[in-house]
Amino acid sequence: MFVKKERNLTRWIFVLPALLVVGMLLIYPVFSSIYYSLTSKHLIKQSYSFIGFKNYIYVLQDSAFYVALLNSIKWTVLSLTGQILIGFSAALALHRVVKFKGIYRTLLIIPWAFPSIVIALSWKWILNGVYGYVPNLLFDLGLTTERLQFFSDANLVFMTLVFINVWFGAPMIMVNILSALQTIPKDQYEAAKIDGAKRWQSFVHITLPHIKIVVGLLVVLRTIWVFNNFDIIYLLTGGGPANLTTTLPIYAYNMGWGTKFLGRSSAVTILLLLFLLVVTGVYFTVIRKWEKEES
Amino acid sequence: MEKNKKTILGNFMCHIYLIFLTIIAGFPLVWIILSSVKETGELTSNPTSFWPKSFTLSNYIHVLNDLGFARNISNSILIALATTVIAITISAMAAYGIVRFFPKFGNLMSKALIMTYMFPPILLAIPYSLVMAKAGLVNTRLGLIIVYLSFSVPYAVWILVGFFKTVPIGIEEAARVDGANKFEVFIRIVLPLVAPGIVATAIYTFINVWNEFLYALILINSTDKMTVAVALKSLEGAEILVWGDMMAASALVVIPSVIFFSIIQKRIAGGLAEGSVK
Repeated sequence: MFVKKERNLTRWIFVLPALLVVGMLLIYPVFSSIYYSLTSKHLIKQSYSFIGFKNYIYVLQDSAFYVALLNSIKWTVLSLTGQILIGFSAALALHRVVKFKGIYRTLLIIPWAFPSIVIALSWKWILNGVYGYVPNLLFDLGLTTERLQFFSDANLVFMTLVFINVWFGAPMIMVNILSALQTIPKDQYEAAKIDGAKRWQSFVHITLPHIKIVVGLLVVLRTIWVFNNFDIIYLLTGGGPANLTTTLPIYAYNMGWGTKFLGRSSAVTILLLLFLLVVTGVYFTVIRKWEKEES
Repeated sequence: MEKNKKTILGNFMCHIYLIFLTIIAGFPLVWIILSSVKETGELTSNPTSFWPKSFTLSNYIHVLNDLGFARNISNSILIALATTVIAITISAMAAYGIVRFFPKFGNLMSKALIMTYMFPPILLAIPYSLVMAKAGLVNTRLGLIIVYLSFSVPYAVWILVGFFKTVPIGIEEAARVDGANKFEVFIRIVLPLVAPGIVATAIYTFINVWNEFLYALILINSTDKMTVAVALKSLEGAEILVWGDMMAASALVVIPSVIFFSIIQKRIAGGLAEGSVK
């Protein structure tokens, strides 16, 4: 009896500090954000009152919100497509080569270690419209008739941001897919070869089914990360020119720290969270179906 | 014979592709370092010259001494170290607890951790700034350390659960028979076994804190308390003359991240997607 009590108590001592952190720094703030989103909370003014869904109505009637939502979706879909394509193809190439494998891998993951501010500064400098290495090189080689303005040209800016995000995110996809590729038993390929299967058939029937779940999970994690990402766009363009690159996190930030309406800003972030919940819910349904198929 | 030629050609194409990707992946780091040792005149007069004509450390000296960046570096080291020590202590205990005492809930807890990963930092930033203001912790390093636990603890628990799962329970039971209590077993037997994993996770946590931008932007407003990320942002002016300084400061921030990350990448990478959900 006494022993059992001791066991139960120490069990909890091990996990309690982490539960406290999660409760106080993650669960509580989300509920307080929900609460603030229903009030007229302001960054500077002290007094505020409960106003029901007025903030949500205001936000959902603001055309800038829809611009930001569309930008967010565009940003997430394009970035993820690029990251998966590059990451997956790089993993396949890396899996196949024998020489220099370790060197390639070490060099290819360099972008992953970059802080967002250094990502922003280095690319701003490389692509700078006057002194940038790349615009000048393209111009000197005669490939462009003028120095390209990657961050201020309305036709270029979004794809520039997506390129930089792909540059940053592809290594993580590559490494995870590579470790999944390495778990596929070699004899399955051998057997397929003996049966006269072509390379692409082996790829479709052996490789893809084996890594499907890891790729699915990566898509979930990266969707969440890219959708929520504030730093990269804020530091590169601040959402400009003319809101062309304003995504929801930037829109929420400008509302909370720009116009100081924290209640409205909270409403935006809650909508952001709801959107993510729906998207990841759909993802997980698909992944669970795949897992069932496997077992 | 035909097959062999195909294989050789395929391998060759793979190498070409990987070299091409490596150049793009590595170029910003190379360009930061090269730009940081160029004279200001050279940066603006001849943008496409690759190698520096003259090597100078004046940008570094200027950044560290005149712009007070040395102070920001020590702030970041202090904040990252403190966060790492606290987060790893909490997370190692929790991960062990989940693996040993809550095997049934392990899966549920992992799912809950993924849930918290979904909370947008921009959402959390609002309550953080309000609570910190109430607690008088705005513009303090302690405030940032507390806030940084919000992402470092879930991450670390998530990674460490995978490492603790590899410890065979038999070793622990033998120690228990010898009369050691749970904490003694944990500290003397289990921790040394997973030490490499813990070190890797600690370094990973350190890098994440060292790199963090949004919370530092919102919670810190005086230059002498700033972390490297926010101080770098404040260096950014419209003037052309500061690019040399900014590249030197960027080099000081990014080179430690890259070095530490390449040391631990083999241990951490892959674990992110695998050990977590199964």
